Amino acid sequence: MRHLLSYLITRLLMAIPMVFILLSLVFVVLRVMPGDPVSSMLGGHAPEEVIERKKAELGLNKPIAIQYVEYLGKLLRLDLGDSMIFTERVSAPILDKLPATLELTVCGLLVSLGLGVPLGAFAARRRRSGRDYGIRLYANAVYCIPVYWMGLMLQLVFGVWLGWVPISGRTGPRMSSSAFSRTGFYLIDTLLTGDIQAFGDVFLHLLLPAFTLGVTLSGIFVRLTRANMLDVLKSDYILAARARGLPERRVVYDHGLRNALIPVVTMLGLQFSLLLAGAILTETTFSWPGMGRLLLERIYLRDYPTIQGIIVVYALFVSLVSLLVDLLYAAIDPRVRL
Amino acid sequence: MKRVLILALGLVLILSLALTGCAKKEAVRSLVYGTTEKVTDMDPANAYDFHTWEIFQNISTGLLAYKPGTTELVPALAESYSVNAKGDEYTFKLRGGVKFTDGSVFDAAAVKWTIDRVIALKGDPSWLVSDFVKSVDVVDAQTVKFVLKQPVAYFPSLVATPPYFPLPSKVYPKDKIIKNPDELTGKALVGLGAYKATSFKRDEEVVLEANPSFFGGEPGVKKIIIRYFADATTMRLALEKGEIDLAYKSMNPSDIKDLSANAALVTNKLPGPYIRYLCYECSQSVFKDKKLRQAVGLLLNRPEIVEKVYLNQNSPLYSMVPAGMIYHTDDFKAGGDGNVAAAEKLLKEAGFSAAKPFAFDLWYTPTHYGDTEVNMAEVMKSQLDKSKLVKVTVKSAEWATYKEQWKNKQMPAFLLGWYPDYIDPDNYTAAFAGTTGSKGMGIYFSSKEWDDLFAKEQGNTDPAVRKQVFEQVQKMWTDDAPTVPIFQGDLYVFTKKNVAGVKIGPTLIFNYNQLQFTDEKKK
Repeated sequence: MRHLLSYLITRLLMAIPMVFILLSLVFVVLRVMPGDPVSSMLGGHAPEEVIERKKAELGLNKPIAIQYVEYLGKLLRLDLGDSMIFTERVSAPILDKLPATLELTVCGLLVSLGLGVPLGAFAARRRRSGRDYGIRLYANAVYCIPVYWMGLMLQLVFGVWLGWVPISGRTGPRMSSSAFSRTGFYLIDTLLTGDIQAFGDVFLHLLLPAFTLGVTLSGIFVRLTRANMLDVLKSDYILAARARGLPERRVVYDHGLRNALIPVVTMLGLQFSLLLAGAILTETTFSWPGMGRLLLERIYLRDYPTIQGIIVVYALFVSLVSLLVDLLYAAIDPRVRL
Repeated sequence: MKRVLILALGLVLILSLALTGCAKKEAVRSLVYGTTEKVTDMDPANAYDFHTWEIFQNISTGLLAYKPGTTELVPALAESYSVNAKGDEYTFKLRGGVKFTDGSVFDAAAVKWTIDRVIALKGDPSWLVSDFVKSVDVVDAQTVKFVLKQPVAYFPSLVATPPYFPLPSKVYPKDKIIKNPDELTGKALVGLGAYKATSFKRDEEVVLEANPSFFGGEPGVKKIIIRYFADATTMRLALEKGEIDLAYKSMNPSDIKDLSANAALVTNKLPGPYIRYLCYECSQSVFKDKKLRQAVGLLLNRPEIVEKVYLNQNSPLYSMVPAGMIYHTDDFKAGGDGNVAAAEKLLKEAGFSAAKPFAFDLWYTPTHYGDTEVNMAEVMKSQLDKSKLVKVTVKSAEWATYKEQWKNKQMPAFLLGWYPDYIDPDNYTAAFAGTTGSKGMGIYFSSKEWDDLFAKEQGNTDPAVRKQVFEQVQKMWTDDAPTVPIFQGDLYVFTKKNVAGVKIGPTLIFNYNQLQFTDEKKK
């Protein structure tokens, strides 16, 4: 237990330099790129003295090094600062939009795993069959398709032509918002309030974006699972299991798949950052009110503190997921000791 | 195991579909309006964009307002007004018994407080007030007098713009521009319009409900839900699927073409006073020489741009004053479109040749005017490339950078678009060629002769004098060419079959209270 605790602390400490480097890069890039938040805020007709006064108020007239040190000082006190464009704490829009992105990302991940792992395992079991080739073709195709194009196609087919699911937003416009105010995770909120009608609406709205994100990234899980399964199925213990007369299905899925999953779990952590990046495009395509859209909008407005805040949160989540993956790794493979 | 999983997923889906299918009927029937526009500052003292003004025009109103779908100014919060003989004092008699949506009383003091606040805050549209108004005097509770800096012929049009919309002093802070309604006392927008805002989620949704105390009566649709889309194609699909009842701004030309052919929808084509034009930095760039400005203008082929980029959904424009507006003349037509010979003559006079071509950067901004902007810049480049005496490089910058670059005189030639602040040719001319307006646009054109002409038309209420000035200005424009008009934009509003009452008109003001459900009317 003590070993686990020290491992956790070490991993968390390792996340600090990563966030620090990322943040420093973002801080400098934002300030050297053309366009400034004051012009965005005040428009093109504001007098020069008003612009200068606003810059002084926001501290933008100070040298970048001073601004950087001041920002880090705030960050150490866990203060993301205030938006330069809106009268709000940076944490406010992030906390507002984060659940939407996490709900989408987690559901996308589940779709990705739910499709990728079984298809990969099945393809390995039926190696060089027509089904195997079909699944490999699917994996290559979805991996190559840009997520926004996939989104548009799914919207057109399942939303417009078949009319099965809604194509934009987190809820229907006429759905009451009283059911969505507890955690920000609408699936959970609607269940907590017992509003089954709202749950159905939220679930349907989540289907297409989660599928788009999940299907696009499922290709890599198919290929990885298949490749690992093929290796595992050649192992001596699989031969021994078969020799003991176990049914093939049990040999493959109970004995083989569990061992083949270890690299898949490692990939899960790496894929999470891709999912977050993919979510930015998916949120735009589906008008999903999440962190990705917030980030894009604040980049247009040059709202430095909010952009930095979003990057910090993204970096922390990627670190956290990477840590969870390591813990999961140990749970799956008893040989791994943390 | 796999079958169980598929079965479970299928059950959840069927259950959800069934549950959504038996959605309860709304207490108040709402109309969902989709747009890709964004709201900026929920403060009339600083908002200076098309869509935010549209919202203010529905949750508030001015002393005067445009009759829906027309350019006719009619009394709104003012019952009547009078102007002195010199034309520099306007006295408005206010409507009695009018209350803001928070219950506070609307009177002359509210009008004065609002105007003083706009001037003091120096926000983006404040020039619409501060350039004209010297002071506002409260004559009595129901009478207010505007004393102007000089006679202004079109002052009634200015009074109909959002910076003049009265605000309650208890709700808006006197010394601060607000961005979001939660910064207001009571955390909600307060106005005097046909609707009141009941929910505001930036970039997601704004909900407006009928204002029961509106002096102008009950709107046809009691609840409007404005839904914000990040992508025009998604909005188009949402309309086709029936998730939204109305879509307005901004659609891609190909989407407009397809939706216009969709029998399940109603297409409302509106000849808008929206114009697009090419600007030159006239003070220190390569375009300091007016011959070069003229030459580039002559090389442009407006009909080709409209056809190739906008699938003929807009109209070529040959004056900065749009067609349909008083005093419009087609002076740029005399130079022709794609007139390579005339352009090369001017270029040669300016000292350029095939061996030493005139090189410059043409700038555009990739998202602010929609996805077609890059195509427009490329088509323009291909037209300019038809002369061996010109070598153009197309460059782009995001809107925030673009604005900074025009302010810093970093773009010799750049594309812009214009929605009018007020409906008068002055707003299409002085804003670009007057010394002050031109500086704000990054054009930096300055001429005493031009400024005197603008002062003359601004201070004169005689239509004959104004006509003569504007005709002269439009003629001079082809010679000095601080900008080159390219096209006049038509606007498209698509609705479901059961929605009627889209009356936008030349003012571009979209009064939601004119909308109605036709299937409701039949009952």
